[in-house]
Amino acid sequence: MKVLEAKKITKLFPGVVALDDVDISIYSGEIHCIIGENGAGKSTLIKCLTGVYKPDAGEITINGKDAGKERSLFRRVAYVPQEINLFGHMTVAENLFLPYEKTGVNGLINQKELNQRALPLLKDFAINVEPEMLVRDIPVSAQQLIQIVRATVCQDYQILMLDEPTTSLTTEDTVLLFDIIRKIKATNKAIVFISHKLEEIFELGEVITVFRNGKRVAHERMPNVDLAWVITKMTGRAMNQDETFYSEKVTDEVLLEVNHVTGACFTDVSFKLRKGEILGFTGLVGAGRSELMQAIFGYLPAYGGSVKLNGKPFKLGETNYSVRHGFIYLPEDRKKMGILPMLSVRENITIPSLSKLTRYFSISRKRESALTEAVISAYNIKTPDAEKKIQFLSGGNQQKVIIGRSMSCDPQVLVFDEPTKGIDVGTKAEIYRLMKKLAEEKGIGIILISSEMEEVMKCANRIIALYHGEIYGEFACGEKKERILSAIIGVQADSKGSYAHD
Amino acid sequence: MINTKKKGLATLRRSTLTAITLILFVMVVIAGFISPYFLDMYNLQSLIRDLAFVGMIGIAQSLLLLVGELDLSVGKIASLCGILAGMLMVNGGVDPFLSLGIALILGLVFGLINGLLITKLRLNSMVATIGMSSVYGGINLVLTKGKAITQIPESIYSLGKGNIGPIPIPFLFTLGVLLLVLFLTKKTKTGRYIYAIGNNREAASILGIKVDKIRVMIYAIVGMICALAGILYVARLGSSQSTIGEKWPMMSIASAVIGGVALTGGTGNPAGALVGAAIISVISNVIVLLGVSVYWQSAVSGIVIVLAISFSSLSTIISEKKQKKLG
Ligand SMILES: Nc1ncnc2c1ncn2[C@@H]1O[C@H](COP(=O)(O)OP(=O)(O)OP(=O)(O)O)[C@@H](O)[C@H]1O
Ligand SMILES: [Mg+2]
Repeated sequence: MKVLEAKKITKLFPGVVALDDVDISIYSGEIHCIIGENGAGKSTLIKCLTGVYKPDAGEITINGKDAGKERSLFRRVAYVPQEINLFGHMTVAENLFLPYEKTGVNGLINQKELNQRALPLLKDFAINVEPEMLVRDIPVSAQQLIQIVRATVCQDYQILMLDEPTTSLTTEDTVLLFDIIRKIKATNKAIVFISHKLEEIFELGEVITVFRNGKRVAHERMPNVDLAWVITKMTGRAMNQDETFYSEKVTDEVLLEVNHVTGACFTDVSFKLRKGEILGFTGLVGAGRSELMQAIFGYLPAYGGSVKLNGKPFKLGETNYSVRHGFIYLPEDRKKMGILPMLSVRENITIPSLSKLTRYFSISRKRESALTEAVISAYNIKTPDAEKKIQFLSGGNQQKVIIGRSMSCDPQVLVFDEPTKGIDVGTKAEIYRLMKKLAEEKGIGIILISSEMEEVMKCANRIIALYHGEIYGEFACGEKKERILSAIIGVQADSKGSYAHD
Repeated sequence: MINTKKKGLATLRRSTLTAITLILFVMVVIAGFISPYFLDMYNLQSLIRDLAFVGMIGIAQSLLLLVGELDLSVGKIASLCGILAGMLMVNGGVDPFLSLGIALILGLVFGLINGLLITKLRLNSMVATIGMSSVYGGINLVLTKGKAITQIPESIYSLGKGNIGPIPIPFLFTLGVLLLVLFLTKKTKTGRYIYAIGNNREAASILGIKVDKIRVMIYAIVGMICALAGILYVARLGSSQSTIGEKWPMMSIASAVIGGVALTGGTGNPAGALVGAAIISVISNVIVLLGVSVYWQSAVSGIVIVLAISFSSLSTIISEKKQKKLG
């Protein structure tokens, strides 16, 4: 049964046509995947279909009635937005049932009752947190799941729309989420699912709609298509999926030497990074990879240990020192730690290079614009103009700004923390190629933190597995996937040359 | 018709500063109509002399608001610096202009103390500066026992009372401060860092910006501007009084917010604070000219200030409603 139909939807933003005359129909009991490059208009479409945005043209009917006129129909659509937007200082239970009117919590709020009601929900989704915990204290993957539970708490929804729900999830959580999605589907509800991870689309999807530049370019039933079809439709060109991106110019020169570093979430970690090498760090979410790198970078405190850069002692605990010495960290959570939301794309791009752009105490606008234009075109950043506030760019394009701006700081060591989170396949390959190029041509040492096994296996010359803040194994590229997988779940690698320290 | 209106609203929302300047202009015209004395040269001069002080502190305050903080001790720093300058000149026999210079440096030191306390001990700026406000006020009382310091040398009077052409000298100082602050915030690297910190402190730190150093620096600058306002006021009155600047903390915040500087940090233009101060001064001036009873003056000016602050959100609300009706 057709529950929702959108006809000729057009949505304009200053300088961009985010959606251009788009038709789409959603049927109950069906999982509908939407796919497209960063900035193709997927999130915008979802926001129009959920009533968050009002389209500039076109009409949306839900259950055969015009939702533009009867806005209460949008209540039939449950929506999980791309960015986590929970109330960090409130408890898990409170977050689940907000707004109270919608979830049938009336009168005075009884914390105990809320907690009681939350328990079965948390159990259903196998979320391992207590209802009375504060949301900001629970792991990101749990927050992501809570966000999904919250959307489904209100019972009368017929369509569930998920905008990139798996970007912060571990593999196990994803499996779990898929089970839940299938269960929801079995109750004859419609599912709309957006993801940049193509294997997820193939696992879950029944129909697929592809977007490019705000236009609907293809629509098919899943069994009729293959990976090559999807990529070609999405990017407009074919792509080799088996391409690898190891650096082929690893030198013997040790660039970064980390000795027995200990911090809040990791203990006694030692490793070496060579010039021109891509070193992968893998592990489960919460293994302490980001914390380790942030401590070396100086953002988090390190309790003990020492670090050498180019053979010289490297001071810990000061980000400014690290950046000046070419140790750059690109954060995983770009909204919280990466972008300056209310500043323009230009200001976000040039912020680390202002010293170079300054003449006689003031920033030279000419040089600034030149650098901005160069970065925008080099990294293929989609924005109507450089003065657009960065918060209005699509997630993938924000990420490109963050990567692009770091390159103008003459980096020696670059830490990419989950660099392709929420990035489309085409751009992913671009980023991998970029890492390879930086390592090979400039001799930069690259540390790649990633939860995606495919990603580290494709890019890293060496892979270190971290489990609960300790190194559980070190592997050369080409190692069997199973051995790495067992290291990240805490099975110590055997002594045949693959133990961590040398 | 509808289209042009929409456009008008859009421009208004894009630049609060232009909008608020327009409003100021309209208010001046209306004020001129309702009270014939308003456009009188003498009245305008005293109005501008008043607004120079609130404007100067407002500009300073907007620097702090940009990084997401505020300073409630601005008034007490100003009066303490005024007192210290007075004591140096009158009791210490120090050269008047040298005393003023020393007072400026003391203001910088007081600001520095605020900044160091707040960054090193990780205090909330509002709570910490309420506390420091009592400290500076207390020192003031200990020094003066509440009495004013009179017999300030006349050589400095012109700084507060004088005019160059028709323009009051304190206002010229305010314009000077504004130009320097605008240069700092709009043209320099440090200025960009200030906006970056106000936007996202964590991101700023990851970019390698010395967040705390910049915050301390701003507190010091603010302290020095307060000292300048304080000594100019002493020059204006011809005596140092501990009541100088009592209303400045709130007035400066209101001016900055009316001028479009966000309380949450990261956006706004310090020039807005001067326009905001002008709006507040015009309102209080008109209320006095209209002969509103002294008891009502504060309430009435309060209401108008709240209206002025809500301007920017009102324009958003109105345009949203319009859109709904049209759609
Ligand atoms: N609120 C907004 N204001 C202005 N422009 C916007 C706004 N939201 C989105 N856009 C623009 O609309 C286009 C589509 O963005 P959208 O977020 O829908 O892309 P997306 O397909 O979800 O991308 P991603 O995969 O990166 O999340 C982009 O060019 C973006 O810059
Ligand atoms: Mg999106």
